[in-house]
Amino acid sequence: MEYALTLDGVTKRFGHFVAVNQLSLRIPKGSVYGFLGPNGAGKTTTIRMIMSIFYPDEGTISVLGHPNAEEVKDRLGYLPEEKGLYKKMKTAEIIAYFGKLKGMPSAKAKQRAVEMLQKYGLADWVDKRCEQLSKGMSQKVQVLGTLIHDPELVILDEPFSGLDPVNAELMRDIILNMKREGRTVIFSTHVMEHAEQLCDYIFLINRGNKVLDGTLAEVKKGGEHGIQIDYDGDGSILKTIPGVTRVNDSGKTAEMFMANGHDPQEILARLVGKLRIRRFDIREPSLHEIFIRAVGGKSDE
Amino acid sequence: MSKAFLVAQREYVENLKTKTFWIGILSFPVILSLSILVPMWLESTKDTRKYAVIDQSGWLLPKVEERAELPDLEKFFLEMWKKPELLANADSKVIPMMDEFRKRAGKLSDEEVQQAAKQFSDTLTPGSDSPVLASLPSEAKEALVQLREEIRRAWKAMPPEEARKISRDFSKSRYQRIETTDSEEALKHRIDKDELFAYIVIGKDPLDGSDGCKYVSNNLTDESLKDWFARTATEVVRERRISDAKIDASVAKHIQEPLAFVETKVGKGGEETKVTDQDTVRQWAPVGFVYLLWISVFTVAQMLLTNTVEEKSNRIIEVLLSSVSPIQLMIGKIAGIAATGLTVLGSWIVFFFLGTTLVPKMLGRPLPIDFSIILSDPVYLSSFVAYFFLGYLLFAAILVGMGSVCNSLKEAQNLLQPVFILLIVPILAMMPIGKDPNGTLAKVMSFIPPFTPFVMMNRAAGPPTTFEYVATTILLVVSIIGAMWFAAKIFRIGILMTGKPPKFREILGWLRAPVGALPVRKEE
Repeated sequence: MEYALTLDGVTKRFGHFVAVNQLSLRIPKGSVYGFLGPNGAGKTTTIRMIMSIFYPDEGTISVLGHPNAEEVKDRLGYLPEEKGLYKKMKTAEIIAYFGKLKGMPSAKAKQRAVEMLQKYGLADWVDKRCEQLSKGMSQKVQVLGTLIHDPELVILDEPFSGLDPVNAELMRDIILNMKREGRTVIFSTHVMEHAEQLCDYIFLINRGNKVLDGTLAEVKKGGEHGIQIDYDGDGSILKTIPGVTRVNDSGKTAEMFMANGHDPQEILARLVGKLRIRRFDIREPSLHEIFIRAVGGKSDE
Repeated sequence: MSKAFLVAQREYVENLKTKTFWIGILSFPVILSLSILVPMWLESTKDTRKYAVIDQSGWLLPKVEERAELPDLEKFFLEMWKKPELLANADSKVIPMMDEFRKRAGKLSDEEVQQAAKQFSDTLTPGSDSPVLASLPSEAKEALVQLREEIRRAWKAMPPEEARKISRDFSKSRYQRIETTDSEEALKHRIDKDELFAYIVIGKDPLDGSDGCKYVSNNLTDESLKDWFARTATEVVRERRISDAKIDASVAKHIQEPLAFVETKVGKGGEETKVTDQDTVRQWAPVGFVYLLWISVFTVAQMLLTNTVEEKSNRIIEVLLSSVSPIQLMIGKIAGIAATGLTVLGSWIVFFFLGTTLVPKMLGRPLPIDFSIILSDPVYLSSFVAYFFLGYLLFAAILVGMGSVCNSLKEAQNLLQPVFILLIVPILAMMPIGKDPNGTLAKVMSFIPPFTPFVMMNRAAGPPTTFEYVATTILLVVSIIGAMWFAAKIFRIGILMTGKPPKFREILGWLRAPVGALPVRKEE
């Protein structure tokens, strides 16, 4: 398999604090790869090292076959978590400026910026200044600025944070579209649904250490099966049912895990009458459960 | 480097769109013309000062009035000589007589004309010819005597409003005595009601001393009326005392003759030349340049700081860093803002050139002092541009480094306070160095890099030796390279940092750390 990105024993220390420890990863070309982990786990540091904004203290990184991202910066697209726009510039101007910084000829960058704005429903905003945009629109402009030069490898740091459902849907479409076009997409998130829906591969990091990586199926395979229900009623009683060890209650849906030797049917019987059960299902654990178990239920906020 | 160019280009183009830029461009000509027009306007709106005199001596006041007329006549003569058309409708006799005098005297030098006018005020030895005029043909002298008589007559007949139109410098146009028999009490009352500017009391025996002389006014700042009246009265009293003592008039004149020292300077070849107004302008021009330099370096360097902090708080930095390296970003910003600053400066120079040479030429009214020497001296202009550039680079490095660690303008301002305190020094030293451009203070300060651009500009009239130019420039350039190196190290770490600004010790740590290593920061 061809890899768009490989990391080998990469370590990054800030003083005595180890932000990323001995990380090795292989990211196949054309895949959608999710970086998961709680806040402060080292996702952003890893991404910044890939982008050569930080240099690793140990280990090597190879991006698109080059040991240093500086050499291939023009073939990469990067949307950082902390992102902004020049407020006084017009939307098309700033997208074109990002394109020019990636080595596009000026005229082509301008033309493409306008085309992209039209394609993504911002045709009316071509001549507007960035300060007039709503948050969702400026996020769109930022994404377009990341993609204007048709990058081979796209890295999005928390692309879904702060997006409403409509814009989140659009973001999903953009990612899937890039995958279809054969680009490699890496994105970080701590919302498991996004990862479950989109990723071919995931990588879970906690406190600077890799917890697991692989395809979605591989990651889930080893895990303990659980009961998933859809229900109406007071979910707080779920925890009181004998034999249930853990509950991930979301209000209308819940995931439960049983102590050894208990029968799911027995649990169903105890639930009936107390709650209105609309679905009852036994399956591999959700990514959420894997995540929680891996990080020990705590995050380093 | 083409990416740094793109950054610079964007910076420049965006700056051209800001209000600050246009205010910067336009403020200079506005301030320049205001500083010329406002005093002129204020002078023109100044009212004629009305005053009253109580003369207890019984003889001094008429003599003073007579005496006060003499400088006016002298000035009037010169005005008429230069622009006879001013009197075209007022009195027709003066002009033919003046023409007659011109014809008989032949070509007159400026000095001869001055002397001809001066004779009005020669009260000690009236009628005697000054040595300068002695060589005139006798018929010319006759014509001059008649011309003077005619001018005296025309002046007496001229109402104050007419005199005001010719010039505001005549005492006739500035001060007007109100004829009054009021008591002092009544005059006080009139001053209180603003009907009178002042009243003057002349003592019983002014020949004896100043007993009983006083000047009463509520305006304590404008003393010109008091000074003028006192000076004129003193002259009258002095003449009376001389004649009472039976001192020969020509002896008295001789005694009072001041020693005039001709100011000269020595040129490069050792030849002596007279000092002109232009030399004075040339000597003091660098002070003006220093002031302008100081303002422009700081305005522009601060623009860079504001811009860096804003960009950082905008969170756009990391997006840019995915395409350009921090060093390219820093170089691009510094260059883009330097271009903005040079554009503003260039416009100022053009405005200055237009204001001092072209516009007066077009209006046909030359400025009293020729400022064009400032622009025609290549040392001034080239050192101004060069020191702007070098000074800017040094402070740009300092401010961009500082700006990169700050999250808000407020933080940046706090951090900058010590820098600004340090930078008041060249402004404080500006006048002493202007007076003594090659003194010890000037020489020592030239070698302190943050002061070098300002002090060397200040000394341009000296001028400093070539060795000093070379040595200070090398020192400055080395400091700039050093400061840029420090700034680059701080910039690439600071620019990505959020939260509390780092402590000074932390920043020192960054300088030692290899490029790209970010020290840990404890944040709660």
